[in-house]
Amino acid sequence: MKAIVRVTAVLLTLGALPGLAQETPKPVVQAYEALADTILALRQAESAFVRSVLDGHLHAARALREKGDWEGVAAQMALFANEGDNAIGGVRKRLLDGGHHFNAEEEEQGIYEPGYVIVTKKAKRKMLEALTALRQAEDEAGRVAAWSDFKELARELLSVE
Amino acid sequence: MSHGAPLRAFLVVTTAVAMTTEAAAELRFVDVAAEMGVTTRTWCGREEKPHILESNGTGLALFDYDGDGDLDLYLVNGWRLEGAEIAERGRDALYRNRGDGTFEEVTAAAGLGQDGWGSGVAVGDADGDGLPDLLVTNFGPDLLYRNRGDGTFEQVPDSPSIDGWSAGAVFFDADRDGRNDLLIGGYIDCTLGEVLTARPELAWQGLRVMAGPFGLEGLANRYWHNEGGGRFREATSEAGLSDPGLYYSFGILAADLDGDDDVDVYVANDSNPNYLYRNDGGGRFQEMGLWSGAALDHGGNAQAGMGIAHGDVNGDGRLDILVTNFWKDASTLYLNHGDLVFEDSTSAWGLHAPTFLPLSWGAALADLDADGDLDGFVANGHIYPQADLAPAAETRFRQRNLLLENVGSHFVDRTSTAGPGLEIEESSRGLAVGDWDGDGDLDLAISNMDAVPTLLRNDSTPRGAWLLVDAPAASRVTVEAGGARQTRHWTAGGSYLSASDRRHHFGLGAAERIDRLRLRTEAGRDIELRDLPVDRVLVARSLR
Repeated sequence: MKAIVRVTAVLLTLGALPGLAQETPKPVVQAYEALADTILALRQAESAFVRSVLDGHLHAARALREKGDWEGVAAQMALFANEGDNAIGGVRKRLLDGGHHFNAEEEEQGIYEPGYVIVTKKAKRKMLEALTALRQAEDEAGRVAAWSDFKELARELLSVE
Repeated sequence: MSHGAPLRAFLVVTTAVAMTTEAAAELRFVDVAAEMGVTTRTWCGREEKPHILESNGTGLALFDYDGDGDLDLYLVNGWRLEGAEIAERGRDALYRNRGDGTFEEVTAAAGLGQDGWGSGVAVGDADGDGLPDLLVTNFGPDLLYRNRGDGTFEQVPDSPSIDGWSAGAVFFDADRDGRNDLLIGGYIDCTLGEVLTARPELAWQGLRVMAGPFGLEGLANRYWHNEGGGRFREATSEAGLSDPGLYYSFGILAADLDGDDDVDVYVANDSNPNYLYRNDGGGRFQEMGLWSGAALDHGGNAQAGMGIAHGDVNGDGRLDILVTNFWKDASTLYLNHGDLVFEDSTSAWGLHAPTFLPLSWGAALADLDADGDLDGFVANGHIYPQADLAPAAETRFRQRNLLLENVGSHFVDRTSTAGPGLEIEESSRGLAVGDWDGDGDLDLAISNMDAVPTLLRNDSTPRGAWLLVDAPAASRVTVEAGGARQTRHWTAGGSYLSASDRRHHFGLGAAERIDRLRLRTEAGRDIELRDLPVDRVLVARSLR
């Protein structure tokens, strides 16, 4: 916001200058630089934020796994695969409606769901398969195997910056 | 699951039209709307449909409002627009079944005929007097009509309402206190001014069509607890039935999806994950859609959920769900494996190919040939009239509906061989199922955009034996006959903006007797009857 104010102030100043400017005045470039920093930082902030949401679901799943609460684990796996719950989905819907697509190019290529930040379509499908396998497993070994599959996928996603 | 007085006695009423056979049935349907005297045209905006509200269509209901034992028909109506003007405010219509194969319109005499921009209809006993009341959802205030029991209705002041574009609605007893609560789904937050001034803005197939739902704000679903005495109190958050994503909700189904004797809720959301709310038994819900596997398709994609069909497709005693979706996206069959584990089994059941190209809305799973398994019927129609100008899209605004025969392990598309009723091309929306002519097979009522409804009389021959169980307070009905066991569940809502007959229909194939019939009461007690005749209507009322 500060940067926007600065740019506006510089442009207003420019309007008052006599004659034609041969190049973009340095203060304008600097203001734009600052604005670019803000834009890029916001993108990084969004990525970090979604990463923290996912990390929270993974930690919760681990804690529930320790308690042997497999249904709870499954619920956290579902939320991870969907990059958050329906409330987060509502926020994402707002962003999309406003024209914000985090991975626009990759969405075009079918790699990401619209608006998704970290979880790829492929990873989502595999995670949901692991979730189904966990919920349908007839014994502990089956549940542990499904959980391991999910953990591996989650680790891969969260380790990529 | 309570719907008026608790069960106290069991009564068998007989009507018999025997036509039992072991031969495979040929499914056949004939449109008899004109013959039966149903002439009301239901409107939905302008011909070119520049606003998404004009793609909504309207619902209908088959229910016995006057208690004479046959099914009557209620049609919800919208408005007709010309340019930016309201050309006609269509009135809802009530048709009374004369019992002689014809309907008579009795709208005004029954005190009905609201002229709001209608959307859907729910049927349920709102005031506990044992009579079916009506809730009409509108683009505008929703209206609750109390059935007086003398063939007339009165509008209830201060009806529970979403004052906006509401879609599906359902009455059900969430907390098992004996009173029916109410859930209404919200679709999009928009104003009449926006509708009237809308222009086709979205680029599609080289044409301009209506925009949405992406880019438009959703409208929250709302839930009301029935306080008794006809009073409702909003309790959406308290009950856990909130709609945090403001998803675009259409069809709503209330049913016991996890078999624990309370009513859960499933909501088909357009372009967003579907909701599945699990009831804790006391009327508190938790949304479990993603966890259950019934929120997304097998690829993890949110689809454009429109309508919901429900029933036990594979004979394992559990309620499966079929959700209808958009053009070039298959309707999705979620098989219920128990404990709320649902699996997308669309392809395995042969549903991908026949449902991929149509744009689908109302749907039903019903034993249309009475051979002992549930067949499928899907109402189709595109949202863009401009589709007729885009041959590359491989679709049309007006489409054939879809008839799917269950052959035990999968469905087979029987649309092209099912008679003149399946040759009709309209832009269909609502669908309700019931035996309106009392001959023991299930007929179909379908609402069409800017047209009269299609009333498909079931002329399938030869047809298996049947049983119709009228047990509104039973949570589950199980029939064993001819070596097979079938289960029907108490459900409400489903389809698209419509309400089907709530009685439980069983096709019994070649069975000549019913070995065993078991009714699960709302208290969880089973009542069993043995060695019953087929081709009968069994009425179970006031049985404790």
